[in-house]
Amino acid sequence: MEKKYKLVAKVPKTPKSAYDHGRFISSLIEHQIKHFHEIEKLLLKPGQELTDITKIKTELQASEYLKKMTALLHPQGAEKPRRVAPPRKTRKRAKAAKSKGKGKTKSRRGKRKSR
Amino acid sequence: MPPAGLDNLKHIVVLMMENRSFDHMLGGLMKKYPKINGLTGNESNPDMNGTMVPVQPNAKFQGQLDHDPDHHFPGVDLQIFGGTPPRPGRVANMQGFIKSYATQGTGINASHAIMSYFPPERLPVLTRLATEYAVFNGWFSSIPGPTICNRAFAHYGTSFGNVDMNLFYIQDPIQSIYERMVQAGHTAKIYYYDQQSSTMEIVNLLKNQPRIFGSYSQFIGDCKGNTLPEYSFIEPCYNDHPGPGGGQILASDQHPDHNVQEGERFIANTYNAIRTKQELWETTAMLVVYDEHGGIYDHVVPPACEADGKSAPADKTGTAAPFNFDRLGVRVPAILVSPYIPRGTVVPGTEDPNGRIFEHACIPGTVTNFFLKNYDQRTSREKNSNNFLAPLTDILRPDDDCWVFDV
Repeated sequence: MEKKYKLVAKVPKTPKSAYDHGRFISSLIEHQIKHFHEIEKLLLKPGQELTDITKIKTELQASEYLKKMTALLHPQGAEKPRRVAPPRKTRKRAKAAKSKGKGKTKSRRGKRKSR
Repeated sequence: MPPAGLDNLKHIVVLMMENRSFDHMLGGLMKKYPKINGLTGNESNPDMNGTMVPVQPNAKFQGQLDHDPDHHFPGVDLQIFGGTPPRPGRVANMQGFIKSYATQGTGINASHAIMSYFPPERLPVLTRLATEYAVFNGWFSSIPGPTICNRAFAHYGTSFGNVDMNLFYIQDPIQSIYERMVQAGHTAKIYYYDQQSSTMEIVNLLKNQPRIFGSYSQFIGDCKGNTLPEYSFIEPCYNDHPGPGGGQILASDQHPDHNVQEGERFIANTYNAIRTKQELWETTAMLVVYDEHGGIYDHVVPPACEADGKSAPADKTGTAAPFNFDRLGVRVPAILVSPYIPRGTVVPGTEDPNGRIFEHACIPGTVTNFFLKNYDQRTSREKNSNNFLAPLTDILRPDDDCWVFDV
């Protein structure tokens, strides 16, 4: 938040232990997969095999299938690859090198000019 | 003349969460806020031994409802009518919740968990929004049944006669609220969380109308870039999966047994995206609502409603009786957020003779009436539904009177 707000309420973090992509899928996700499977049947090209959705048991497996099917129907929804910031030490070194480099360039330019 | 809150309104955002009842999430608020129709602490249900089990403020974020409580049509019928089979004149008593949960092999003690509720301080986001803006005492799921058919009411104002999770096809001339908006030159979008979580609107909308979809990161971008559509519907993350760069994305839908705290954070992030953009904040109303109760206890008997001209046959309901869509499902949390809503607004429901009843058909009903005015191709149930924007007033609360979440 850039702006300062008068009334700010802290929201607790979710514990890391909450994550479990090996959790068995609920009836909701099971039906979501079934609905996508109907679409998959329609989109099937000769030589292609239908996904065996009976093998999808966990949330991880479900998410992989949902990603595949959603990407077919809505490629615009793909996450753009994120630029990962380098570690702070590397950033400091890069910054230092950049400013050093800038100085050199200036002086070189100066030398060139003087030539 | 409409109040300034409506006059200045440019965007409606609906965030639909999963499977929690009103009393489970907000019932504990009644002790401090007596206008909220929550729990006295004396409400109870019999267990399989006939012992009366009271509601308990011991709901857990995760691990308590790891047997997903039944919320399919026959299970909800048992929860509402206490096991009395369908027959003319039977009376709803909300006494079958523990019985229903016990049939899922939970064991006697674990079946009592269905009576649990959260003390308000355990849900800082939902509690804050409910007490700072408007909470609806009488918002019910549209059908005493599961997700897909209830969500259909939010998109179409009807489930086309369906009471289950099976796929269905739109029947002319009813169109989704998004298609109505776009065809009339307005803007509307469904934002799903990401491709790994995707949407529940697959067969009719994602397949045929992909242009009306976006991802949650696009929603955040649209808020930042002042490109938010006039109507937005947001779906939370429905599963745990790896995130970009080796991270972990947690389900934020609050569907049992997903972590409730993560859902709180998701609601807070969505609120913040609007709240921290001043122009957007002053021109947006955001509704946080749950699709259905998820089999969890609520004490309010669902009222009768206007039928939508459809009927589900007995073999579809699983109760040996047809269902004519003439009564609502179990009550769910619903909160309307806008700086034009006075702090502590409570919209009365069935407890008040002048109360108003809301259900998911109110969503396309209100959005259509607000943006499209006279639009005829919809069910009379939707046409006659109550306007959920009614709590907006003339008075804009000062910026330093509205909270921001530090997520």
